[in-house]
Amino acid sequence: MNKETFLAGLRQQLAGLPLEEREERLDFYGEMLDDRLEDGLTEEEAVESLGTPDEVAAQVLAEIPMAMILREKVRPKRRMKAWETVLLILGSPIWLSLLVAGLAVGFSLYVVLWVIVFSLWVVALALGASALGCLFGAGFYLFRGRPGEAGFFFGACLVCVGLTLLWIALSLALTKGAVKLTTGIWPGIKARLTRKEEAE
Amino acid sequence: MDGQLKRGLLDVCALAAIKSGESYGYQMIKDMKPYLEMSESTLYTILKRLEGAEMLTVRSAEHGGRLRKYYRITRKGLDRIEEFREDWSMILSIYRFITREEEAHE
Repeated sequence: MNKETFLAGLRQQLAGLPLEEREERLDFYGEMLDDRLEDGLTEEEAVESLGTPDEVAAQVLAEIPMAMILREKVRPKRRMKAWETVLLILGSPIWLSLLVAGLAVGFSLYVVLWVIVFSLWVVALALGASALGCLFGAGFYLFRGRPGEAGFFFGACLVCVGLTLLWIALSLALTKGAVKLTTGIWPGIKARLTRKEEAE
Repeated sequence: MDGQLKRGLLDVCALAAIKSGESYGYQMIKDMKPYLEMSESTLYTILKRLEGAEMLTVRSAEHGGRLRKYYRITRKGLDRIEEFREDWSMILSIYRFITREEEAHE
């Protein structure tokens, strides 16, 4: 890949950024490439040392606040015509409520995910508490001189301990999954918002 | 490493790269390379932040028929490095205390 294709690729990936911000970054990477060429690297090597445009764009986006991306996304590219404004206002009962509903659904999905994770840990805690309760039960009956009941409670305690450990392992795996899912979604949304599709 | 701590460290690294004189992006990355690998996007963010904090100034100058940006440290930037040295001499002394405890247990 040469310098031009790299910069063109990066420009396309960052199309959703404000013009000034994007051009300044492209100038920066252009300067970095020129300095590498001057240092004796070939164009191929220079571009390779920076990474692919996708990788570089991902790094750039990670550092840009979501608010800036969204502001640029909703900024009209040209002045709206009078009838468009009228339609926008007349249609606001529809699109505004749809927008609010969409945001609410997204937010609820997020809350539901974490409520599930939370309940998993509550169950783990309950199992642990049962194990402790059974242990006390065993001690109680042993103290009262009833080894039969004590044995039963001790067995129940062991079962609860086993279940607790299994449950904690399961909860841990699912919590990690949930964290991965929610942290993975954010950069994904950013990239989707800023990338300029070929078809457009 | 803790994000806040790392950010502070990298800021001072970038300042140290221009401490002894004006420099430009690629040169700074090369100077830091034996000690730490800093990606271009990281350096860009740091330079922007330091410029905003008035710890360095930027000027564009012609070089070989193109423009190159040069960064120069300010009084404030030098103060930041000094502050860092003081902080870290304290942290080092705490570190020595922590590792001494460990050795005593072994």
